[in-house]
Amino acid sequence: MPETTAAPPNSPTTVKLKYVKLVYQYLVNHILTLALIPLLLSLLRVGPTEILSLYNSLHLNPVQILCSAFLAVLISTVYFMSKPRSIYLVDYSCYKPPVTCRVPFSTFMEHSRLILNQNPKSVDFQMRILERSGLGEETCLPPAIHYIPPTPTMEAARGEAELVIFSSIDSLMHKTGIKPKDIDILIVNCSLFSPTPSLSAMVVNKYKLRSNIKSYNLSGMGCSAGLISIDLARDLLQVHPNSNALVVSTEIITPNYYQGSERAMLLPNCLFRMGGAAVLLSNKRRDAARAKYRLVHVVRTHKGADDKAYTCVYEQEDPQGKVGINLSKDLMVIAGEALKSNITTIGPLVLPASEQLLFLLTLIGRKIFNPKWKAYIPDFKLAFEHFCIHAGGRAVIDELQRNLQLSAEHVEASRMTLHRFGNTSSSSLWYELGYIEAKGRMKKGDRVWQIAFGSGFKCNSAVWKCNRTIKTPADGPWTDCIHRYPVHIPEIVKL
Amino acid sequence: MAEVDQERGLVYDIKLSSVGPGNVTGQDSIFEARNMDLAMKLHYIRCVYYFGSRAFEGLTTLAIKEPIFVWLNRFPMTAGRFRRDESGRPYIKCNDCGVRFIEAKCRTSLDEWFEMSDDIAMREKFLCSNSIIGPELSFSPLIYIQLTKFKCGGMAVGLSWAHVLGDVFSAAEYMNNWSRVATGFGLNRPINKMADGPTKPKYFNGRVKVSEDPLSVKRVDSVGDNWVFAAKRKTAAFSFDVTPTQLSHLRSKLSRNGIDSPAFEAISAVIWRCIAGIRGGESEPRIVTICKRSEDNEKFRVLRNNQVVLVVKAESPVMEANPSDLAALMKNGGIDERAGIEEAVERDHGLPDFIVYGANLTFVNLEGADFYDFEYSGQKPVRVSCRIDGVGENGAVLVLPAAEGGGGGRSVMAILPENEVAAVKSELKREGFLLMG
Repeated sequence: MPETTAAPPNSPTTVKLKYVKLVYQYLVNHILTLALIPLLLSLLRVGPTEILSLYNSLHLNPVQILCSAFLAVLISTVYFMSKPRSIYLVDYSCYKPPVTCRVPFSTFMEHSRLILNQNPKSVDFQMRILERSGLGEETCLPPAIHYIPPTPTMEAARGEAELVIFSSIDSLMHKTGIKPKDIDILIVNCSLFSPTPSLSAMVVNKYKLRSNIKSYNLSGMGCSAGLISIDLARDLLQVHPNSNALVVSTEIITPNYYQGSERAMLLPNCLFRMGGAAVLLSNKRRDAARAKYRLVHVVRTHKGADDKAYTCVYEQEDPQGKVGINLSKDLMVIAGEALKSNITTIGPLVLPASEQLLFLLTLIGRKIFNPKWKAYIPDFKLAFEHFCIHAGGRAVIDELQRNLQLSAEHVEASRMTLHRFGNTSSSSLWYELGYIEAKGRMKKGDRVWQIAFGSGFKCNSAVWKCNRTIKTPADGPWTDCIHRYPVHIPEIVKL
Repeated sequence: MAEVDQERGLVYDIKLSSVGPGNVTGQDSIFEARNMDLAMKLHYIRCVYYFGSRAFEGLTTLAIKEPIFVWLNRFPMTAGRFRRDESGRPYIKCNDCGVRFIEAKCRTSLDEWFEMSDDIAMREKFLCSNSIIGPELSFSPLIYIQLTKFKCGGMAVGLSWAHVLGDVFSAAEYMNNWSRVATGFGLNRPINKMADGPTKPKYFNGRVKVSEDPLSVKRVDSVGDNWVFAAKRKTAAFSFDVTPTQLSHLRSKLSRNGIDSPAFEAISAVIWRCIAGIRGGESEPRIVTICKRSEDNEKFRVLRNNQVVLVVKAESPVMEANPSDLAALMKNGGIDERAGIEEAVERDHGLPDFIVYGANLTFVNLEGADFYDFEYSGQKPVRVSCRIDGVGENGAVLVLPAAEGGGGGRSVMAILPENEVAAVKSELKREGFLLMG
């Protein structure tokens, strides 16, 4: 998105402009209310007796009244029947890895040096990435990756999957009180580990879920698969009345640790860490009271039609035959474009009328009058109270902060999640939401925007509305460390 | 060579990982090495604790590693790495890098291991790491822990400990802390204070001002960042037990004025004489170094190099001396060299490279080391052996306590030049030791 040149924050021009903008926004957003005021005034002037005589002069007989009433009832019934069901997020639970899986920077570097001893340049590259990564000293890797060299067996991968997924689901069941027999829909997404039987079958087996469960396993869909699962759950919950859906998002690191020395493929090793989340969605009316959030919109944008976007996150073999994920240098540019597409779709759904009008006017202006007018970037801070940007890496968060003109506090959840847990792929959005709740910032009526990027190249958004003010949770991945946050993350950490 | 290959094949399926403190130590935590520590930096302590099958029964690797994360929270310096400051003086950066954790398996059972005919001391090299600090200081672990599982389920816990962190008594106490954490007792000593004073020498009182190195150390050629001492003559180790009967016989044989000679001095005196006899004439070791546990209990530092280092000089030829005289000399005639050692290190700002063990023939009294307090699952070790690497050409002899329930015997580990070993062994047999062959 094109940059805007900002005037110095506190100059008199900017302050005046802010007030003008506020007045404009109030006028446009409440235009209907404002339009009603003259009508109300005229009604008051007319007086109640005059209205009554007007009504009597219509000469309505009972049949006509009955028919109109019947019509009104019919229309409202049709309306309520065809309205999409409200989808509630009852609760969610994020996996907290044990301290035995912790990987301090120094250990990571020492192991890299021992494993890649033939390639000192690759080791230096990893060190530079780690210094600037925005990760902290408490991120975790699964036990198999702690070995020199790592021992990624199928058994170890399943072990990690069981550890992460079962812990998350156990915690969720404890929080929500749901019984395994009550789960109607199960969706598991894990991009890079897809065994047979599937991870969703593994969950069915462990928890003895019903034999008529609707289970789905999404693999290969990248870091944005979490929101794709939510979208699928939503569509299923529209079709099946009175049901609930368990969505599990995770990424299993064990089998995907790159063992070669190509620099572009070493980047994921430095950033991806262990994590997972389990989410319970429901369309039952009785969950409306206790649910934490209500799903408002899900918008999915796929840029795969463009070749450059398609190949920017590409799994391939390196010259030595070792498989890894190649991240292209254009990643940030492509992410920016994908975001722009997504915003173009989501903007009209969430932005207040004032912003949409401004955007429309500037668009018309650019098309007709002067292409050199800078494009108006709608102010999404008016549409949302909280932002959860996928913690894909420091660069992603920086880019989005710049593009959407967000303050440091808006991206705090993302940055701190990246620091404490690293890039946990599709589950990172849930850790970020957990951070906001742990800080006690989530109030009833707050709107949350979750944005995820993933291979393909996809940009998916979900909009949630907070259903009830959430007290700081007594359990969760942040409970023992939230008092330390936010931390200042230096530009370059000295190793 | 075939024997060595066979031995090498004895221990297999070796897996390396790292274990560090569970808590984040923080960016700016450093641990300063004192002068005495730096004097010992070329030596490494290699201990092996042998356990029967019940100690580690049914425990997965993860279950064994879990308490270590808690234990290391108290000793973050052991998980750190060395750096050099602007003046070149080494210090430890507590960066949570971790201790190296090695898992291995052995093809024999524990009993078979003890019964094998060759020297157990040489075989023990496979039960604990032989690594040193260097060539890159910042990537060299200070401690290696190896868990070797025997066919019968028994376990050997091998500790490889850089002497710069502390003496054998500290190393034993460090391990005992692990065992306490694993049992859930908690630690009974205060935490090592992190910045507990700069490198001000402890024993140096300003009065002893010598410009030459003390007798107990030998200055070696600069080793740079490769902290290993390579003697011109290769040393080999062998060990033997002194049964309680042999010991009491020896002690009464060396008694003076009706009082039995103390065990360590008795054994050491006899060995001193044997070695003197073999080296003979000019090369007779008239000066020996004695190391033993210090009496003062420094409250705030569990890990320390404050063992007593004494130098004993024999006036007359040792070969013909009366062993009980030698024993008495060793007990009473030593001069404490610690101040001198500290001063020698301080003079060159922590930079010189010394060896202490083997500078002269060294006798190390490890009777005070609490090896057998290291329990796992309530089981004590069936045997503990201890060796020191980086010993100089004059050799070293370690006298360890025998296993609990060994009724007061001793275990002796001798590290001597290779070409002396056979002769020393036959001399010792003549004296009544090593009767088992």
